[in-house]
Formats: sequence, structure tokens, C-alpha cells
Amino acid sequence: SRSLSKMAHTQVSSNKCAGGFQKVFEHESTELKCKMKFAVYLPPKAETDKCPVMYWLSGLTCTEQNFITKAGSQVAAAEHGIIIVAPDTSPRGCNIEGEDESWDFGTGAGFYVDATQDPWKTNYRMYSYITEELPKLINANFPTDPDKMSISGHSMGGHGALICALKNPGKYKAVSAFAPICNPVQCPWGQKAFSGYLGPDRTAWEAYDATVLASAYSGPPLDILIDQGRDDQFLSASQLLPDNLIAVCSEKRIPVVFRLQPGYDHSFFFIYSFLSDHVKHHAKFLNA
Amino acid sequence: RLQGKVAEMENFASHLEEIFLTVEENFGRQEQHLEQHYNDVLQTLSQRYDDRAVGLEEEKKGKLEALYKQLLACGQAMDASKELIETKKKHDKWDLDFFICSIAFFDEFAKEQVDLTLSTSLEFNTPRADLSDVKTMMDSINVVPAPSAPVINPQTPNSATQTSLRVCWSLFSDDTVEYYELYYRPVLEDTPADSRLPSPPVIKQRECTSCPEAALIRWESGNTNPVDSYTVELSEMGTDSVPTCQCLIQLQTGRRYLISVRAVNIGGPSCGSEVITVSTTGTFFYLLEDTAHPCLSISEDGFTMVRASMCKMIRLCGFRCVAVLGDLIPVRGRHYWEVEVDDETEFRIGVASEDTERNSYLGANNTSWCMRHILTPARHKYEFLHNGLSPDLRITVNPVRIGVALDYERGTLSFFNVDLEQHLHTFQCHFRNYVHPCFGLDNPGVLTVHNSIEAPEYSFV
Repeated sequence: SRSLSKMAHTQVSSNKCAGGFQKVFEHESTELKCKMKFAVYLPPKAETDKCPVMYWLSGLTCTEQNFITKAGSQVAAAEHGIIIVAPDTSPRGCNIEGEDESWDFGTGAGFYVDATQDPWKTNYRMYSYITEELPKLINANFPTDPDKMSISGHSMGGHGALICALKNPGKYKAVSAFAPICNPVQCPWGQKAFSGYLGPDRTAWEAYDATVLASAYSGPPLDILIDQGRDDQFLSASQLLPDNLIAVCSEKRIPVVFRLQPGYDHSFFFIYSFLSDHVKHHAKFLNA
Repeated sequence: RLQGKVAEMENFASHLEEIFLTVEENFGRQEQHLEQHYNDVLQTLSQRYDDRAVGLEEEKKGKLEALYKQLLACGQAMDASKELIETKKKHDKWDLDFFICSIAFFDEFAKEQVDLTLSTSLEFNTPRADLSDVKTMMDSINVVPAPSAPVINPQTPNSATQTSLRVCWSLFSDDTVEYYELYYRPVLEDTPADSRLPSPPVIKQRECTSCPEAALIRWESGNTNPVDSYTVELSEMGTDSVPTCQCLIQLQTGRRYLISVRAVNIGGPSCGSEVITVSTTGTFFYLLEDTAHPCLSISEDGFTMVRASMCKMIRLCGFRCVAVLGDLIPVRGRHYWEVEVDDETEFRIGVASEDTERNSYLGANNTSWCMRHILTPARHKYEFLHNGLSPDLRITVNPVRIGVALDYERGTLSFFNVDLEQHLHTFQCHFRNYVHPCFGLDNPGVLTVHNSIEAPEYSFV
């Protein structure tokens, strides 16, 4: 039937890893209207039991490959029995004019929003893809516990994780982020992306800004873990603005533990160093 | 040779340092004694003054009263005399009867001696002030105070043979002692040949600690006569004989045990001591009052510490961490306890090694680990200190109930916001020795320890 073929996916690769399997699949996305790849790590537990799912959102310029090859996530995922899904960061091969002009807008820079402006609005619907289409596909095709979902990410993906959790109270049982873009309406990256995808109206931007969303959050309690490299060039370039988020969360009593890690930068070496802490944080809620 | 000289000089320097400290200490003691002595003298003098003043007052009262009475009497006598004169004047006519009566009356009256002497003496009746005891006190001021009586320790088991005896005693650290004199005499007892049974020991409740897997019981011998050993009993099960006054017993988790101790000698075992209850639900310990900074007062139940706003001792104590240690946790494995504070309390909560230096600040050395809360005008600051260093962390919701999870095997010490079940930080430590839980207050405030709590699932993953 039609719906089944829409949810069909094909395996691109499979490698045994940490006792489980790191796989990559491809499918036709209805939201993004193009072929999309996504990575799935199946821990050993998945052979016999349903497992909770952690969604990992990558940052600017990444594909589904960076995280699964550089972050060292598989051992921790195997230990805690968690499936990790790592999608791509934007629609691919849509041939939209200007999509490859910059590394921080267009291809590899979907910003996890549903675009409202031409020529982006047809394909650039990463928000709906991540929160609706992908989970449905994953839950239909893998041994998941559909109630146990969590989300994390790095940089632009950290922004994605935070806004998905804040905009969907109760949907994600845990949330964490690495060097997230906390206040995109106030930083050059966010302003460029949002004006391109969402137009000039700033209220439309605020619907995708973690700091703004936190100030109006009402829902089940959150427990947010954020790691930030102190020697991160983008921190000093005022792209990330974690102080703004911390201030709002202090005021609104949203529990956050924010760790400034001396000597660490923005790279995957930083993610690798603290990922097991994050998986452990997610496991606490996913395995409860 | 130069190296030898350097070593020699180093030794000499440290020796000098020791002497320096001792001299300082000794002079400190002398100053204290002096102050005390003069205070006593002043108090005595003040007392004497009060007594004398009261005496004078009473004397004054007495004399004034007597004089007043006399004045009254005089006045009355004068009035009576004046009246008579008036009466006589009125009766100018010679009335024979009246004349005879009145003459007789006047005769009697005139014969009465008018007492014109003062009823009281005009002199002061000053008793000599007896200041002889003050003199004695003044004389004794420069004398080294006699030492206090040493306290003989109760006899330990196996410290005596048929012909010898080991006697131990303690001295007060304030005393200067040149030598001791030991007196002894044999006591003739007409007890039967077989020895009497020992008395039951007394369990020292405040010095017992427990955790999910074991309990440490400490007791007082309860006997002045020699005891061979002790046995510790849980309900009917007893342990093997124990030579000293403490015993660590392995127990099962999540149960309550009734524990008593018997003393045993050749004659047999004593009756059981009074029973104490031990619960192996969580880790349990008391705060050690004798490790507490003088500015801290520990509640009677032993679990709350208070630092008052105005503490006179703070200057006398110099810069010492205002802290107290909990009893040592001498059992490997996992331990959990909670600490209650309020938003404004600047606390230090953590653990310190057995061998940690007592005066140093918690977290400032490599033998202690602690979570620290600092209030700044801008915000609340949290540090996780070891060796003076802390990670750079921001916490958005201030914890007021903090869970502390210690895992000796894994070498971890974790902190949680209990109300939110939120993990705050974990130290990776290498515990070479057992540790004491430790608690400090950097500003006036209150801190309460809650223990015997079953560790929540999230605290040990």
C-alpha cells in the first residue's frame, strides 16, 4: 500500500560495533520531498527487547556520517541499551538556487525549522521531519519503546534538541546539548538562517529560539545537561550565547547543569570526551 | 659534606620551629591562667565590697532607727510634761485634794530621771576586712598551677598476669607535669576461689555507625576488674570473642537488628548489655562533636549544626574552617546521605580522608572533596572542590536538599539535587583510606544531616 512504501527504507550500510550494529538507511521523505539518509545504532539489547531511542541532531555542514564515525557513541549506547538515531542536517539534492552558497545556510544547515519562505518552504521542513516523520518511521521499523524518546545534539543540533524539547512538553524524556546555539535570534548564524527560512517577522523566529521558548515553557519538569568548550571559537564569537539561556532558566527555575570545559573547542574531539556522560544522563530517564 | 650541613640545618630549623610552637603554646597557657586568676581575685574583691556595703547599710539603718525611737520617746515625754504644766496653770485656785494629789504626782514625775543619754553610740563599728584569702590568691598567681589529677583508664582485658599489672592513665593537656607518683595497695577480698562474673558492658550509642552491609558497635567495658574478651550478639546469634571494645559486624541489607554485648572472663559471660537497634537501611553516622569548630553548636540529637551570627571565638581560632566531621565510614561499598540547607547557606559538603589536616579548609587539599555554595551579589555560585580546584559549572535551580553518594569501590563521590532528582557533579577520586563525611558553614546558618536513607536508584548508576 501507499503508506507502507512511503515508510519504506533501504539499508545503505551495516557494521558490527560494540556488540551491536551501526547501520545507515535511506528513504523518501514526505516532509522534505527528497531522499534522506539516517543512521541507526542498534545495541545488543535490541535483539531481544524493545529499547528506548535517543535522537542525535548534528551541527552545521554535517551529514549522518560525522556523528557515527567520530563521536564514540556506540559503547555507551550498548552499555545502556539505547538505540541512537542520527539523521542528516538538511534536505539533499533538491537543486534549490543558493543552497550551496554558504556553509551556514542551505545545504547542511537546515536549522531544524519548517521554512515559510520561498524557495525553501517546500523542502526545508527539518522541524517536522525530526519531530514527526522520522519517529513514526523508526517506531514502525525498529524494536523501539515508542514512549521512551530523548533528544540531543551539537551546535546547530544542540539548538535543534533544545527547541524540540521545549516545543513538545513531555514528548522527550531527556534532553542535552553540546555547545548549542542557545539564542539564535541574537546571533549572526541565527539571524541569517531565520531571515532566509522564516522571513523578516521576528515573532516567527522566536518560535524556534530556545531562550525565548524557555521563558514561556510550561510542561513536565526538564533536566537539561549542557557541555560547552571554554576554548570554543564560536563561543567567543558570540554565536552560542549560553549565558542568555542560563539567565532565563535560572529565573524560570528550569533545571540546567551547564559545564564549561577548559581547553575544549567546538570539534568532535570535544563531543567524544563527554558523550558518555550525556548517554548516561539520557539513560537515567529512558531506562527509568 | 655541604648536603650533610644542609640536612643538619634543616633538622635544626624544624626543631626550632617545634620549640617556637611549644613556647607559643606554653605562653598561651600562662596567659590564660593569669587571666583566670585575676578574674577570680577581682570577683572575690567585688564580693567582699558588696558584703561590706550591705553591712554598712544595715548598721546605718539600725542606728537611725534607735535614734528615731529615742526622739519619739523624748517628744512624748515633753508633751506629757507640757500638758501637766498647762493643767497646773489652769488650777490656780488652791484645791487641797488636788494639791495633795498633784504634788505627789509631781514628786513622782520629777523623780523620774529623764534619760538624756543617747541610745546609740556615735562611733562607727567597722569590722576589720578579712582579705587574707585574696592575699593568698594574689600570692599564688605566679605559681605554676598544680596539675589536675590524672585519670586512670579502666583496665583493659589481658593486661594483668599473676605477678604484674599494666596501668594506663591520661593527663590533661593543659597540665605541666614533671613526674608521676603511682600508689598502690593490695585489696584483701574474701571472695570465693572462683571469680565473679563480669558486669555487662555499656554500648556507646553515639559512637556506633552502620551502613547497608555492616554495623560498627563500640562500648564501654563496664568492668574495673579484668575482662578476657567480649561477645557481640544479634538476637541469639553471637560473634566470636572480641578483645577490644569495638566490633564491625557484617549484616544483611534492609533489616533491623537488636544488638547487645557481653563481657567474658574465666568465670563466664556477663548478662547482656542494654540492647541497641541498628537498621541497615542506609548509612548511619553521628557528627563528631569534638571535631566541631568552636563556632558551631551541634544539636542534641547530633544531626543539626548551627553557626551563630556573632561568635566571639572566631578570632581566637584564627583562620580555621568552620566545619565538623561525621564518624568515619569504615566499610567499603556504597553509602548515601542527604543534607538539608537553605537558599542562603554558604555550605561545604563532602568527605575528608581519615588523615586530613583538621584545620584546613574542606576541598582545599588533596585529602578532601566537597561541594561549595558561595553567595555573590550577582548570583549563586557552586564549586566542586578538590585540591583547591573546581570545574566551571552553572546550576540554574539552587539545591536545598543535597544527596551525597559515595562509592569506595568505583572511587566516586556524587552530588544530587534531591528535590529534582538532578545529578550535579561526580568526583573521580582515589580513596586510599576510609573517609569521614564532612560539613562546613562559611556564613551563619543551619545545616541538617539526614541519614539512614536508602540510596535512590539514580544515585548509583
